[in-house]
Amino acid sequence: MERTAAMTFPIETRLLVEDLITRSAMLIDSDALEEWVASFEETGRYIVLPRENRDLGYAIALIKCEKRAILEDRLTVLRAASKFNPHVDRHILSRPCYMGIEGDIVSVQTNFTIVQSSLDGVSKLFCAGVYEDRIRVSGDGATFVERVAVIDTFSVPNLIATPI
Amino acid sequence: MRVSVNWPTTDYSRVPYSIYHDPEIYALEQERIFKGKAWNILCLEAEIPNPGDFQICHVGDTPVVVNRDEDGKVYAFVNRCAHRGAEIVREPRGNGTDHTCIYHAWCYSRKGELTGVPFRRGANGKGGMPASFEPKQHNLQTLKVESFKGCLFGSFDHDIEPLEEYLGPLMVDHVGGLLDKPIKILGYQRQRIKANWKLYPENIKDAYHGSLLHEFNRTFGLSRLTQVAGGYMDEKHRHSILFQFSGSDSDEVALRAYREAGVQRGELMKLNDYDMVRIIPENDKGMSTRVINLFPNGFFHQIANTLAMRKLRTLGVDEFELTWTLFGYEDDTPEMTEHRLNQANMVGPAGLISMEDGEALELVHRTTKTAQNEYAVIEMGGVGPIGDRDTRVNEVTVRGFWAYYSQLMGIAPEGAEQ
Ligand code: FES
Ligand SMILES: [Fe+2]
Repeated sequence: MERTAAMTFPIETRLLVEDLITRSAMLIDSDALEEWVASFEETGRYIVLPRENRDLGYAIALIKCEKRAILEDRLTVLRAASKFNPHVDRHILSRPCYMGIEGDIVSVQTNFTIVQSSLDGVSKLFCAGVYEDRIRVSGDGATFVERVAVIDTFSVPNLIATPI
Repeated sequence: MRVSVNWPTTDYSRVPYSIYHDPEIYALEQERIFKGKAWNILCLEAEIPNPGDFQICHVGDTPVVVNRDEDGKVYAFVNRCAHRGAEIVREPRGNGTDHTCIYHAWCYSRKGELTGVPFRRGANGKGGMPASFEPKQHNLQTLKVESFKGCLFGSFDHDIEPLEEYLGPLMVDHVGGLLDKPIKILGYQRQRIKANWKLYPENIKDAYHGSLLHEFNRTFGLSRLTQVAGGYMDEKHRHSILFQFSGSDSDEVALRAYREAGVQRGELMKLNDYDMVRIIPENDKGMSTRVINLFPNGFFHQIANTLAMRKLRTLGVDEFELTWTLFGYEDDTPEMTEHRLNQANMVGPAGLISMEDGEALELVHRTTKTAQNEYAVIEMGGVGPIGDRDTRVNEVTVRGFWAYYSQLMGIAPEGAEQ
């Protein structure tokens, strides 16, 4: 993505954006997924997209939630029905790179790696990728308008259950 | 190679755990199955539509270049240089007039023929290849390629039966139905599962687990043991289809049955948005789900309105990669495409009805490693002769896999069921 202008983001905006991004990683890692989902707007999208599909122009995602209600459904299923490897996630984030601002929506990209640890204490690199976020910053704080997690580790080690 | 397997029964109702772990068996599988008398799925024609388009595929663990020549024909050859064995094509896909190895720049045509050896006659009258060197004798190993309605298959055995004969009428009917009009590729999902590859066709042929492991299936009636369903095979029992009709049972009947079986804890779960499980009727058979295995490495599914070809590549005895190629049709409306994209939430490595398979297979692989003198028990649907069943409470299709596998491997016990 091309940066639209020399970035002179107000420091208050940056603090709110960065707080949302880091807090969202902490919420996922501590299994506070309901709270994490609440940081999306009602029409907020959450997509996990293999890098190869992005490069080839294919729309198939691994997770595709076109609004918050659908993300809530994924959580319902995860809590009630899904079976997966019991594990702990640890998101490691880069500093965010500010890409543009349009009205009150900030576009920002953040690299991530996720290290997954089994319950017997063995850690492995699980996923590398970049968050392409569109975040609304208003008086009351920052919310996700859209989060697309483009993953480089698109030959997924076994499965993805908890959100990226 | 002499490999023997100790089958305790002749109907494959017991499967020795060693068969998932023995490196000699793995080596023999590469020879007798993947490089033997079998048609392996390579890719879809729609992935390489134009002359020069190529894709790297794998047959077992052998890397293969599949490409289309100027005349529109598809050729496949092993991606290993005839000089010193380097990998020739390094991009997963692309377009090219020929293929040049980076090491010493030997060049190959799209048919896999050696067309160029730099400095073959030496330099300044010195060096070079001996006069006896005959490029024609150093072409790459090729595969026989055939297309079935746009799905490309390859075989190392150039004398193998014609593809349609290999597939048989049942598979021609169902896979043919899924490929009856021009398809549009929607994208890929991939996963690497740390388990022996055979656990995957077994899983795909196992109707019993569908709603016990995948509770999402049970809740939304996509697959329930109380439904009108079946597990059918071709006459050699190597390919299989599991199918069911949603709406052929009721939530009440299902809930009662699963409660009585002691596996339903509460009510069925509720969603905000039911679009994901909505079925837009599009096949004349009216089946809500069809999951197909084409021996040895190919799979097709129709789950509600998601359609995919899946293919498996082996990565040693302990791991395999699964590629899901999701597709729709050229004549899909934009709404139908969007529906298929949304329903893809159910499949693949993050799929609401498929993520569990990878986990189950890794569990089996991990714990059978240390129990190689013990056996799996496969008796659901009955023991003895192998045949079709009109129920999902059934594992006979799994025994069908072992019967054909063992014949091809030359490891079937005396008097085995076929
Ligand atoms: S190894 Fe390919 S040219 Fe030498
Ligand atoms: Fe399954």
